[in-house]
Amino acid sequence: MIARMAKIEIIGPNELLMAVLALLRELGVFQIEQDITCFIGEGEEEEKVRSALLDEKALAERIFYEDLRGRIDELFSCLPKAEIRASYLDPSNLLDSIIATVQRHGVTCREWCRKKESLQKELVDLSGYAVILGAVEPILCTLSPKSGIDFIGVTIRDPAALEEVMRLLTSLTEGKFEILTVKAADGTLIGLITLEKELAEKVRKTLDEQRVPELTFPAAFAPLPFPEKIRYLRTRMNEVTAELDAIDGELTRFAQRWGAIYARVRSWLDERLALYKNMAYLHQTGMCFFIHGWTPEAEVTRLDEAVTVKFRGEVVVEKKQVLEQDLDLVPVALRNPPYFRPFELFARLLPLPRYASLDPTPFIAICFPLFFGMILGDAGYGVILLGLALVLGRVFRKRDTVRDMAKILLISSCYTILFGIFYGEFFGDAGARLLGLEEALIVERREAIVPMLFFALSVGLAHILLGLVLGFVTALKRKTGREALYKLATIVVILCLLALFLSYQEIFPRLLAKPLTLALLFLIPVLFYAGGVLAPLELLKTIGNIVSYARIMAIGLASVLLARVANRFAGMTGNLAVGMLLAVLFHAINIALGVFSPTIHALRLHYVEFYSKFMTPGGRKFEPMHKD
Amino acid sequence: MEKVYMALAAALAVGLSAVATAWAQSKIGAAGAGTLAEKPELSATIIILVAIPETMVILGFVVAITILTL
Repeated sequence: MIARMAKIEIIGPNELLMAVLALLRELGVFQIEQDITCFIGEGEEEEKVRSALLDEKALAERIFYEDLRGRIDELFSCLPKAEIRASYLDPSNLLDSIIATVQRHGVTCREWCRKKESLQKELVDLSGYAVILGAVEPILCTLSPKSGIDFIGVTIRDPAALEEVMRLLTSLTEGKFEILTVKAADGTLIGLITLEKELAEKVRKTLDEQRVPELTFPAAFAPLPFPEKIRYLRTRMNEVTAELDAIDGELTRFAQRWGAIYARVRSWLDERLALYKNMAYLHQTGMCFFIHGWTPEAEVTRLDEAVTVKFRGEVVVEKKQVLEQDLDLVPVALRNPPYFRPFELFARLLPLPRYASLDPTPFIAICFPLFFGMILGDAGYGVILLGLALVLGRVFRKRDTVRDMAKILLISSCYTILFGIFYGEFFGDAGARLLGLEEALIVERREAIVPMLFFALSVGLAHILLGLVLGFVTALKRKTGREALYKLATIVVILCLLALFLSYQEIFPRLLAKPLTLALLFLIPVLFYAGGVLAPLELLKTIGNIVSYARIMAIGLASVLLARVANRFAGMTGNLAVGMLLAVLFHAINIALGVFSPTIHALRLHYVEFYSKFMTPGGRKFEPMHKD
Repeated sequence: MEKVYMALAAALAVGLSAVATAWAQSKIGAAGAGTLAEKPELSATIIILVAIPETMVILGFVVAITILTL
């Protein structure tokens, strides 16, 4: 249901404005209205009422808070994401100390962060050199310092140029060389050439002329011979890691010590700044302020009492009459009983209904599980879905959306079991054969295709007629007489067409056919008058909507046939274990399809066929001010 | 011979409407995928939109049943 809303005006002296806003935020039941045209009438002196402006002191305060908030944010950006304990200090008494410490702490933390970044970069660079030096280490270990062997490191940017380099080296050294390559992170090749010492200088010079750059090492260990480089690299990497650990330790200790206080101050600043932001939507005269807005009817007394008690009658809460022209401005809050509440999830997928319209949640809460059960209709699948819903509800009890979905699945699975018993299906025809479910059989879906088709169409007819009746009621509520007449005429025409069909099928007396035809002829001009020239087209669309409910039978039939195929395949293997495995696999696929398909189609029947008969979308969500 | 024609008519009723549904769904699906890249919050609406053309094949199915049984 759409909660009844009250139009509220709060008036008080200007100096209490911030205190009133803070109270409204704490209560969390009041939404400020930005458009005040529905509050200030034409006869009132609008020129005396202006938007609330911040005075010099308030403006300075706001700038100070925003600056402090920015500094604390900067500080937190340096700190590790550790769990921070709660602080119960009152920030308003700490602000002077905080502004002094945040500056000092900011400098320290920024220095730690800068050093950390520099060390991390050095570690990444060293790791790159470690890859190439690590690859040649085994060769170096086998060589004595006097072996007459030298090494040249080169960078080959294009891997295709490697062959060209090797040809060059062959011609220079007469094949007395070895080259070892490693691919760097950026895709270039790092090559280490092993060759005789006396040839090294000549090769270096030629490679330089051919623009093959020699691998350069950082100045810290460039002059060292290769074995020394490896030792230096290892020692330096250990030192850098130790320094990084030390900085991380410092930052964590800092976060544990100061994080709670700064987080508390930040939250307090957020609250204060939120109040300043709300001020843009308020109005005032020279002496008093006006806050216009909406609150649920059920919360008016609580709001009034809280304001009266806190401000001892200095601030007045006045309930104003909601006029017809205000209806499009009234925000919409859905309030449903616990059974219906999870289904608000489906209502929220589409734009909210307007305030003067109807909340479709109760109807979807009743019909969705029914359609789901009619389509899936298998007791075995229902039991599995019931278990799944219970597990989901338990595991994700703190996540509202998943919990609501689990509740919807729970209700839908109960209907699936119920219809499974009606249809005599338990994992397809396996239940009928193994558990003797055929005794409880009402209808065999696989065989009774035409009766099931008529059943589905009857369900559609009832659902669409319900939608039209709701549309008629909504139109009356909105005082749009012509629309109400159109809905009523459509209902009567559909009923006449149904009776005509039944009389031709000789279920009703044939004699009725003539008066029904006359009634239809009389109703057609009424339809044109109420619905315009497109009324017959709309009528055809409505009949098409009813036929669309045949999907309840069609998808159900597909589901039962798939389950039967799963059982047949399993039986055809001739091996118990393989058969069981196949049956489990096929039924698992069928259950996955069985959840997805009925959900989509039951929703579609509501959204497209049913909602269009009565719902007027475009409602504004009720979003009261509240503490984060 | 009459049964053959009836079967052919029923097959055409389902087959042609299934092709039409598939074509419509391919267009809606492609547009929906583009929409989702920009507005992921519309996923539920897109799923519903993709399911809308299935009415055609359902109607084709009803016509096929009518041909074969009534």
